[in-house]
Amino acid sequence: MKQEDTTTPEQPRPPARLPLWANPRIGLVVLLIALIALFTTLRPAFLNTQLTLVPMQADISVYAVVGLSQLAVLSLGHMNMAVGRMAAMSAFASGLLHDRLDAPLILALAGGLAMGALLGALAGLIISRTGVNSFVVTLALDFALIGLVSLLYASFTDGVAFNGLPAGMSALRTDTFADYCAGDVCGPEIPLLAPIALVAVLVVGLLFRWSRTGREVLMAGSNAKAAELSGIPVRLRTIQAHALSGLLAGLAGFLLSANNGAFSAGVGDGFLLPSFLAPVLGGTLLVGGAVSVLGTVLGTAITQVIYKGLNLLQFQVDELKLYIGLVLLAALSLDRLRHVLAERRGVPA
Amino acid sequence: MRPFVRLGSIVGVLAVVIAASACTKKEDTPEGGTSALTAAQVKVALVPGGAHPYFQPWKDAGGKAKTDFAFGDVTFNETAGWDQTKQNDVLTSLAAQGYNAFGIFGVAPESINSTFENLKKQGFHVGSLASCPAGDKNLADFCLSTDVQEAAYKAAKAAVDAMGGAGNLVHLTGNKVDSNTQRRIAGVQKAVDETGGKVKLLDTITDIDKDLQTAQKAVADLLAAKGSQVNAIVTTAYNPAVAAAGGVKQAKLPIKVIAIDDDPTIIAGIKAGEVAATVLQNPVGQAYVGSYALVKLSEGCTMATPGVIIDSGSFVVTTANVATYDNDRAAKTTSLKSDFDSKYLTCAK
Repeated sequence: MKQEDTTTPEQPRPPARLPLWANPRIGLVVLLIALIALFTTLRPAFLNTQLTLVPMQADISVYAVVGLSQLAVLSLGHMNMAVGRMAAMSAFASGLLHDRLDAPLILALAGGLAMGALLGALAGLIISRTGVNSFVVTLALDFALIGLVSLLYASFTDGVAFNGLPAGMSALRTDTFADYCAGDVCGPEIPLLAPIALVAVLVVGLLFRWSRTGREVLMAGSNAKAAELSGIPVRLRTIQAHALSGLLAGLAGFLLSANNGAFSAGVGDGFLLPSFLAPVLGGTLLVGGAVSVLGTVLGTAITQVIYKGLNLLQFQVDELKLYIGLVLLAALSLDRLRHVLAERRGVPA
Repeated sequence: MRPFVRLGSIVGVLAVVIAASACTKKEDTPEGGTSALTAAQVKVALVPGGAHPYFQPWKDAGGKAKTDFAFGDVTFNETAGWDQTKQNDVLTSLAAQGYNAFGIFGVAPESINSTFENLKKQGFHVGSLASCPAGDKNLADFCLSTDVQEAAYKAAKAAVDAMGGAGNLVHLTGNKVDSNTQRRIAGVQKAVDETGGKVKLLDTITDIDKDLQTAQKAVADLLAAKGSQVNAIVTTAYNPAVAAAGGVKQAKLPIKVIAIDDDPTIIAGIKAGEVAATVLQNPVGQAYVGSYALVKLSEGCTMATPGVIIDSGSFVVTTANVATYDNDRAAKTTSLKSDFDSKYLTCAK
């Protein structure tokens, strides 16, 4: 699902179809399968449905959306350093709506998403109006929000979390489709969170692949000046991309709150690094102009599989960090090797 | 391509809606009633929220419990990295590895009940060690923890005494968005309120228990800015305690330091008269007696009051009792174990 830069002049002849081995996504799939096979051989418990596969799917669902949130601004060549705090603010908005107005699940979710989108749009507005680097703007926003989240929770709750969740939210955490049956036919062992993340993946994928807005965001990311001269409203697209990033951060915050069982101030604390890791591992460029939604999902899956596998092997804390770093380095190097090989043979990868 | 996507989406959504409308939820089958195990079958996992000096005694205490109570195995896993999502992952990974009884220090007290619920649903026994869930409910079998509010109150009282009943007090503590920190702040405030205005709480500095460097910097900043106004420092977290003891000694200021726990520098400080007092907790008792209770529960005993909260003890140590404090702590551990036998556990004869 890699989006090529649409500003490149047309080739005289269409390029040869990408061979399978040169497709970065295939490389990631092969790596994913290899890692699963490796960990399953070392620890057969890796395939335990209830204790490994279901929690892992839930984690992948949350962190795929976190990755997409960063991807939305990476498309512009921007960064969102406030992704975790936007998630925390969204979770606060959802919690407040439920706590004070007794809002049902859907309304609480909508409120959280709106909060995320607003914060993202605010960041986008500042960046597009002032021309200050997105890194600086979102980092400053992150600092401000750290304080605000803490103050808000202190004012509106008796501590750091809302007591109680909207009806149905606990089911999102505990249930899988296997718990729901039509007659004797029950669903697969997939957590209820997964389809929500899937919808986000599809929408973001379709947006960057087929929608005019999405393509224009990519063009603005590839070359803002050229995009401006071509009549693309670059400022508006910047605000929209940041709003999308905020909205997805909000969704990730909601999913994590569902997964952990509370709307709390700690939501989003660990989002920043994974938000970059998954898109970059999946082939999204940091300089903008090209994104890979499927790659981001695969990148998330690989990271979570590595983490789960090393956990099952019961590495201690220092070894765990060391090996996660080494495995990721190896994964990125292999991808680079594949890229170089593809270039030598004259196929774009 | 577009029409196919649209058609596909509509068909997909319709299929999901039709399937969902025909579904009913399976009746929950209680999985908690697992058959009793022999001691040799019980594998205990002691899982703190992350790497921290406080939990290091758990390793040896768990090992001693395994020898004394002859159960199957014990492991100590501190890889959760102060992230609730990661801790949940560590717990399910340990469960997949065959561990069936868990002593947990939850990263997020506000949402840890969800984690306990998940584990109990799978039929495992769970003890909440060194920290209880926020709110009124504890969904673990029991909580064996320092009463943090009481310990902070005792520490602040000791500080008030050390400063002669009047003056300015500063409180150094850990993560503000943690409900235990909120309880500690409340405990200190209570002791200050009791002085009727004679003691003023000059400042409460939070978020400095991340590591020793952070705490040392905060203490250096505090002493540089307000060192001459401060009469006593009360610390309710490990790293700030070590940093305050060292910082005040180095600055040669007449500030009374009330520390927490028994880091060698603190005990040496008490012996040398540089630290006025320290409030000890009972990590050994938590891990040792916690493991014992988990084994008993696995063998078929039940809690007389499920979710009961038990204070593992806190002890004020001054120059008067610095040589003998460990006897008090060992005595408390022994009495905790006999309390489990006589009060908290109900076992078939």
